[in-house]
Amino acid sequence: MIVGGTERPFFRWDWVGSHVGEILERVLEHLVLTGIAIGVGLIISALLAGLALRYRRTYGPITWLSAGLYAIPSLALFAFLVPITGFTMLTAQIGLVSYTLLILVRSIVTGIDGVDPAIREAAVGLGYSRRRLLLEVELPLAMPVILTGIRVTAVTTVGLVTITALIGRGGLGFFILRGLGRFFETEIIVGTVLSVALAAALDGLLVVVGRMVAPWTDRRSRVGA
Amino acid sequence: MIDFLGEVVSWFGDNWWGPTGIVWRSRQHFELSGAALITAAVLAMPPAAWLGHRGRGTGLVTALVNAGRAIPTFGIVALALPITIRIADVVPWMSSGIGFPAIYVALVALALPPLFIHTHTGILSVSTDVVEAATGLGMTPRQILQRIELPLAVPVIMTGIRVTAVQVVATAPLGALVAHNALGRFIIDGFAVRDSVRVFAGAVLVAAAALLTDAVFGAVERRLTPRTRSESATRRSGVRNTTAVG
Amino acid sequence: MEVAPMIRLEGVTKTFPGSETPAVDRLSLTIEEGETVVLVGPSGCGKTTTLKMINRLIEPTSGVIEVAGTDVTTEPAHELRRRIGYVIQQVGLLPHRTVAQNVATVPRLLGWEKTRIDARVDELVELVRLEPSIRDRYPAELSGGQQQRVGVARALAADPPVLLMDEPFGAVDPIVRANLQQELQVLQARLGKTIVLVTHDIDEAITLGDRIAVLNVGGILEQFDAPGEILARPANPFVESILGRDRGIKRLSLLPISGVALESGPVVMPGASAQDARRVMDRYGTDWFGVAEGERMLGWHWAADLTDSVVPATGARPFLARLRRGDSLRDALDVIVTSHTRAAPVFDGDRFLGMLTAETIAAELAR
Repeated sequence: MIVGGTERPFFRWDWVGSHVGEILERVLEHLVLTGIAIGVGLIISALLAGLALRYRRTYGPITWLSAGLYAIPSLALFAFLVPITGFTMLTAQIGLVSYTLLILVRSIVTGIDGVDPAIREAAVGLGYSRRRLLLEVELPLAMPVILTGIRVTAVTTVGLVTITALIGRGGLGFFILRGLGRFFETEIIVGTVLSVALAAALDGLLVVVGRMVAPWTDRRSRVGA
Repeated sequence: MIDFLGEVVSWFGDNWWGPTGIVWRSRQHFELSGAALITAAVLAMPPAAWLGHRGRGTGLVTALVNAGRAIPTFGIVALALPITIRIADVVPWMSSGIGFPAIYVALVALALPPLFIHTHTGILSVSTDVVEAATGLGMTPRQILQRIELPLAVPVIMTGIRVTAVQVVATAPLGALVAHNALGRFIIDGFAVRDSVRVFAGAVLVAAAALLTDAVFGAVERRLTPRTRSESATRRSGVRNTTAVG
Repeated sequence: MEVAPMIRLEGVTKTFPGSETPAVDRLSLTIEEGETVVLVGPSGCGKTTTLKMINRLIEPTSGVIEVAGTDVTTEPAHELRRRIGYVIQQVGLLPHRTVAQNVATVPRLLGWEKTRIDARVDELVELVRLEPSIRDRYPAELSGGQQQRVGVARALAADPPVLLMDEPFGAVDPIVRANLQQELQVLQARLGKTIVLVTHDIDEAITLGDRIAVLNVGGILEQFDAPGEILARPANPFVESILGRDRGIKRLSLLPISGVALESGPVVMPGASAQDARRVMDRYGTDWFGVAEGERMLGWHWAADLTDSVVPATGARPFLARLRRGDSLRDALDVIVTSHTRAAPVFDGDRFLGMLTAETIAAELAR
């Protein structure tokens, strides 16, 4: 595609063809970065949510803190970390994980709070212990809400990973940065488009997982008395 | 650690003035953000208000929400550069496409979705009962939009403006990657020469700019939110505190 | 030899934090094994609070509660609850589990083996009169009545000696409610559980309770006795107001026809003289008379049908309303009032037993 008099084509498919290996490598790196961030984020959020659910008064401060982290522009957050932890994977992960906390903690707490009190009362009345109640009743029923939170987190994290290119990682962001540096549109486009595709794929995957984890939400028919 | 912070503080002392100083770059930063915000507002809000008034366009809003989350801001900024360069090649009064034009275009593009979404949702969320009553009183659709829906939608719209403003201010630093000299310059240059002090100071400035924007617009938002509208109504309309991710 | 009561409350008090007056104030109550006790009273009388203290969903502020002779606080609460059945108004079925899995909840918590659980689930589904095919459905697919039956089955799964029910039939429509009440009585006749049931509906209390505990605000026990006794001799104006103005009629619904004397009524034998017919009609104040041969009821005639000197040989109209000895006096009153007669025939199958008069019923009311 040639635009306005210049000889440079906007998108070069041949470059894509000759760099498939590198592209796949970066996709993998992107997935790994995203996966670790969400994984660690989930663990920390689960702990924080557990704390908030047990001791209600901590929910305010926890939300305030994670919202505060979320409010810091991503470039600034990574920039704060670099002098402390350098241009490393750790820096990237600390930043990425920080952004997952707000949504995940809120999702978990909202999900579990959202369980119908009648169900909880009946379950406790039948003889569920605190532990089994959480594992067998509250968590499964909160899953749909929690999973929606994970979906949003996954999509935003995929986008954020691209910025980590500035501190040496980046996954697909690597192409965006390099393409920018050498005025090479094809690379920028590949980086951006694949990032979006990856986010969409993850989202779709999580929707499928959601349906597998909560089969009872599909059946809604009503039969006679 | 303490030494480092001491260095940062003294760096601040040394770098206020001059063409590469904090004051100049802050000004660039806010001029850019303001321009982008106003442009996006003018482009996105009227159509959003009209569609919301008509009750249509919810599909578009959902698509925008998803796109807004999935499309990396970094990609948009980077993509803007070759585009503005090509435009500059063609358009005579533009000297070059790098710098301000590139980041400006990118920020406008980024600001369109949230402004559209919040304006649309705000107008849409005005209860149909109220609109029906107004119609029954004899108001024209235009009058209803102007006198009923817009005022009632103001809290949600203000939230949208605030959220978008913060996002723009937070993403503007990426302009340093396309040769624009705002607050991001400190961070990017600092990365390049491994100057931790500059990087850290730059981060403080960028974060402060974002938080300041949030505070200022937040105050305006609170002022404009009428007492009668409960907090839960604003929350119910689905817009939450989604501040900048940059 | 004294048999220990199944449930014993002694001086039980509950004051909620932040409240000045206790919700339940020094309540003492004993419930015998196998009986159904209904706690009834206005809002704020503490009936639900009391119920929930038995299975420790609410912990008493002071006082002692014993189930089967053991203090309820001596073991972990969740273990106690696995031995007590609990049914609530909204049912609270686990939406992510099938009906079978819901019913199997307590057995699973107790660690029963799969085959035993499966057999028990089948048994219970049949017990609450549900289709076996319902096993694999999810709660969202069931109607309100079906859900509550599953709730009851679930509560009985581990065969607990005690069943606690908190307004169990409040969320279903009156027809379904009457059905469920009836089925509970059948179930109870079969199983002989000790049931404590909370309701705000005095009629439900009268229908279901072997004894009724009438509670006043603050958990004050106003009267604790069999329904018939309370209806006949309410302890104070408060209890009277709970019973309602028609408590006399309510009492009648507890008394079977077999408990009162029947009379021959305005009935003559076939071939009797018109004069005889007029005489019985006079005596009973009716404008009709029946014709019966011993235990065979042939029908009735209007007084106007007496055109000859003898009772008509044919054309007797059949009695449409047939009362049985097991029917209540309330049912009999309905029949008598709606058919504008002053007496109604009582049968045992096809055998005519005699006439029940409005006077007999009135006399019973006055007792």
